[in-house]
Amino acid sequence: MALIEARRAAPQAAAEATPPTLDTLVAQLGSPVASERRAAVRALDAHEDGIPALCDRVAAEVAPSVCEAIMAALVRRASAAVVAALLPLLRDGTPVQRNAALEALAVMPEHVAPHVAALLRDPDSDVRIFTANLLSVLPHPKAAAWLVEALADPHANVCAAAVDGLAEIGDARALPVLAALPARFPDDSFIAFAVQLASQRIGQ
Amino acid sequence: MSVTAPLIDPRLPVARADDAREPISPQDYAKFCDFFYRKTGIMFGANKAYFAERRLQDRIAATGHAGFRDYFTMLRFEIGGTEMQQLVNAMTINETYFYREDYQFDALVRHVLPGIAAERAPGTPIRIWSLPCSTGEEPYSIAMQILEHWSQADRYDIEILASDIDSRALADARAGVYGERALHRLPPALKQRYFTPYGDGYRICDALRGSIDFTQVNVADAATMRRYRDIDVIFCRNMLIYFDEVSRRQAVETLYDSLRPGGVICLGHSESMSRMSSLFAPCRFGTTILYQRPVDHD
Repeated sequence: MALIEARRAAPQAAAEATPPTLDTLVAQLGSPVASERRAAVRALDAHEDGIPALCDRVAAEVAPSVCEAIMAALVRRASAAVVAALLPLLRDGTPVQRNAALEALAVMPEHVAPHVAALLRDPDSDVRIFTANLLSVLPHPKAAAWLVEALADPHANVCAAAVDGLAEIGDARALPVLAALPARFPDDSFIAFAVQLASQRIGQ
Repeated sequence: MSVTAPLIDPRLPVARADDAREPISPQDYAKFCDFFYRKTGIMFGANKAYFAERRLQDRIAATGHAGFRDYFTMLRFEIGGTEMQQLVNAMTINETYFYREDYQFDALVRHVLPGIAAERAPGTPIRIWSLPCSTGEEPYSIAMQILEHWSQADRYDIEILASDIDSRALADARAGVYGERALHRLPPALKQRYFTPYGDGYRICDALRGSIDFTQVNVADAATMRRYRDIDVIFCRNMLIYFDEVSRRQAVETLYDSLRPGGVICLGHSESMSRMSSLFAPCRFGTTILYQRPVDHD
């Protein structure tokens, strides 16, 4: 028969050499071989003191499989330090890094909250747009109120991102602010359309 | 991206005239559908709206909320996602039987295994992992499909691993005794060839029972999962959908490590790896999409 007989026992772990030290794993993060860096990330994820090294690495890492492993580790160990390591990616990261950071930040609401006000005032409009995107999916009681604040932004695309978010999570308190928005961007038909849709969704 | 609706139990109670449930407005229902789709990838078509709404109302009542808005606020803001998990459970029906979603088994023997064989010398092992395997219908179906429909099967050592976290399910799987309902999709010839009457049901033949390596596994236990390496094909259907975001990320990382480069993972019909991770490349195998660990990812 082509099917081989079952062993009737769980596969045994290969005999392992002495576990690598933290220093060894950190050094391995600089390997030119992505698979070695990923292995180091997975080992650091399991290491009690491994997260700071991953925070240090996250901005420099570009290999997708390594980035994913770092993000999975950081999400599992959410902390203020992890959020501090991820936020710069909204401004300086590659699109892959930025999107991964947004997904990761979205599951760390209590650690993201102290940064929201500053993010909404960031001089870079892209960062403010990403912040609005983040708030739309952030499970935090103030998320809708922050999006209403974002409607005061001078940049139409920031406002549009906030309107999109409010369409899903906004409540009646957003309606008057939404209603006033199209007048600020009279030449922007999308804003008028998005506001109308959001208001209907919130409506009743 | 195409996402199909989940199975919805058609045995749900029909609304009565005196039903006191709070109706959900079309706007709120649309809002809920957007949210649920974003969270799970499950989209409810118009034909499922009644059942989805009933399940939603059930959860609103079960959690003691006054109406949709209160419930939806709680759902969005809860930390840990416990109620979200309850809701997913309520919205999906997990039923296992032989040859369930058999188009993936068809893809296995028509496309995946021939592809592996084209690059691997005869006599070498091919490893297939069913996770979670529940009471065994899936791994036994895989075994039957290979024996019946892959002409090169005799040239390779095919190892079928099957794992679950539930020790009782595993015991049932090893026993291999099933009722008529579990066999309802099996062609009569297969039933006759691989099963014998046993009490009120049927028992799978010893040869097949002896060919599946059933083991208990907790996907969240990285140390245990490290034992599973160089897998060519993982059937991981309707498991990840039940995990919260953090657990799902961990599980996907672990499954990636278990697969051989170039290996593929089969998900349930309402699941999409693209929504969970960019580690895998969606690939068409015949009429189905499987997710491949790239040979050279980086």
